[in-house]
Amino acid sequence: MAQYRTQVRIIADVLSTARDQNTEGTGVGVTTLLRKGNMSYGRMTKLLSELVGSGLLLELSGEKISKYMISQKGMQFLAAYYSFEDFAQSFGLRL
Amino acid sequence: MATQSDMALIQNLLQFIGVFVSFSIAYVSYRGVRQTESSTLLRLATAFVFLGFGFLVEGLVGLGQILPSLPVSTSVVVVGGLLLETTGYFFLAFSHAVDVLLSKRMGAALLVVPVVTLSGAQLADVLSILSFYFVLYGVVETGYSYARTRKPDTLLIALGLSLIGVGTFLQWLSILYQYVGVLSLLQIILQEMGLLILFTPVLRFAVGGVKVNGPI
Repeated sequence: MAQYRTQVRIIADVLSTARDQNTEGTGVGVTTLLRKGNMSYGRMTKLLSELVGSGLLLELSGEKISKYMISQKGMQFLAAYYSFEDFAQSFGLRL
Repeated sequence: MATQSDMALIQNLLQFIGVFVSFSIAYVSYRGVRQTESSTLLRLATAFVFLGFGFLVEGLVGLGQILPSLPVSTSVVVVGGLLLETTGYFFLAFSHAVDVLLSKRMGAALLVVPVVTLSGAQLADVLSILSFYFVLYGVVETGYSYARTRKPDTLLIALGLSLIGVGTFLQWLSILYQYVGVLSLLQIILQEMGLLILFTPVLRFAVGGVKVNGPI
């Protein structure tokens, strides 16, 4: 069944995409993040600037397009997220 | 054969176990709020802070009955403790209601608080019924969550909440039938067993720590 995602869940989804799709180490483009993140372009660019601003993502500026890579702080956030998600699920809740 | 004061002492000791368990769960949830800013964990932390203070007040009231030097045995304080406890159970049920709304199911409609006829009913009586109702809702939603995730911990929590639910029901009965002394002791034992079961995720969290590169 389709369900709404909380803001923290959306952030975790974007960060995990940036981590897993960065196979060549050159970062992940907005198109890939959009496809995996399942949200509008406007909303995604706003979220990306927030995540870069808070240090969870690194922005790698190219000639034409920017690419994004998860930072060490982002990795720590994801680790904490999975850990607390497990905790909340034990109580039958979702983060 | 245990005397009335022995039973009261056991009840109070058990209340303080409830205080410890509730504040432990609240602490782990609060750590989660600090690290992830999750509103779900904030509601969970709020629920267990209220429950912890509720058990604390009830424990202190009980101690006041054993130690007359502690002036905490007024009926206002007793109702205050029950009110805190009920608020805690409400936040627990509310967390599930929000979860249900996010998953576009209709179960949240069950949380509509029934109209309670207050006339003639004692406030403590009403609070116990409300607590039972909130816990029951929590049991149903946690059971549903287990059916969805098949996570053993979730089933364990549903069992723990069920025990707390039965305990809350007995609490209401013990208010109605005050001459059956064993009811309130049985209620505390069941509630504490339930709370200790709720402590399992905290233990797992403390032992497991934070996983790096966890599964998606």
